[in-house]
Amino acid sequence: MLRENYTAIVERSEELRGSFATEPYECGWAGEAIFFVRILERVGEIEGVKLYVQISPDGIRWCDEGTSLVLSGVEVSFCRVRHFGNWLRVAGTLPEGAGVRAIIALNLKG
Amino acid sequence: MREQARAILNADPRFSRFDPLPRLIYHDDFNRGLRGWVELIGNYEHSLDSMLPQFADMRPPMLSSGTHWDTGTHGAMQGTYSMKLATRARAGDISVSIKRVTWRHRGPIRLEAYFTFKPEASELQLSVNDVRAVGVLFDLQDEEYRWMPHWRYLNALEGEPVRSWQFKREREPFHDIGDRAETVSHFHLAPTGWEDVPESGQILCFNEVATKFNWYYLRMDVDLASRQITHLQCNDRIHDLTGVGPMMILAMPNLDCMLNVAFWVETDVDKRAFLYVDSVLLSGDW
Repeated sequence: MLRENYTAIVERSEELRGSFATEPYECGWAGEAIFFVRILERVGEIEGVKLYVQISPDGIRWCDEGTSLVLSGVEVSFCRVRHFGNWLRVAGTLPEGAGVRAIIALNLKG
Repeated sequence: MREQARAILNADPRFSRFDPLPRLIYHDDFNRGLRGWVELIGNYEHSLDSMLPQFADMRPPMLSSGTHWDTGTHGAMQGTYSMKLATRARAGDISVSIKRVTWRHRGPIRLEAYFTFKPEASELQLSVNDVRAVGVLFDLQDEEYRWMPHWRYLNALEGEPVRSWQFKREREPFHDIGDRAETVSHFHLAPTGWEDVPESGQILCFNEVATKFNWYYLRMDVDLASRQITHLQCNDRIHDLTGVGPMMILAMPNLDCMLNVAFWVETDVDKRAFLYVDSVLLSGDW
């Protein structure tokens, strides 16, 4: 059997400001994941902002998994994560006055 | 269906719980992946901003093990995984997943599925009125018409229980998308224009805690030749079709022989609503 390989667009072009987190995504079937963050529009200074991968026992309560990605001047950033249980999301805080519109793709394999 | 064919289906636990027409067009058991079910997105041109805002965020489907904070993994009706649709935690938010194929014979089509729905178990309360509606639609086109049978279970509305089935034949306005006069869009899942299926009150087995799943059977038949809805059934209830009809639109460009099926879930409160689909079987008669 070929492995499953699925990409979910967990955030698409909504304006993100302040503290935010992507919607919970259930993916316990997968053994590995990559979050891709493609910046469509940026307002203010976002370079150096970290987005943190979070995991959850129930899809309701969250903790940092330890992996993060750093937004920079490039269009697409990513981070890899493995051994993450049943749910994934990314969370971050943009500085005062800053905002982004992004496509956040979660690629899963298992 | 011929007796021999039925006997073969009955011998296979994957199919014995279904009553398909002779041709199996697709059978989606979500233990084997999402199998072509994808988030619905509105039409756009040049920019995502040209999309009707209601279509901008229909949320991607997931493969769910039905895992909860209190009892762990519930699993699906058969096996571990079901397809899960999840709204945002915002009253009126809708999540829609669609599968797109085309038809090869203009005759009877039957959709069967096993499903359940629940609010997110974020409160220790019954929460029986938190999911507003779950529904299923066909999006079909022949040489003359695009027609869209819509059918939903209105569980609750603005906090009040409803527990009955509705259909929608009223068309929503079409809007031009972009500047090339090539694309239009209409938000056919708008809350307006829904009508009651006659005497369709039906209490489903919600159970008593948001983390307990009971699975329901759903069957919706349409006839591509006569453009009619011919059968609506949930569990033991076969609903009266008197006056029930689809949304009718003159045929549109680039949609020839379209045979799309979509499921959706809508939340009534600022809490995520979940639709779980264990399996889907689409069959036809030719």
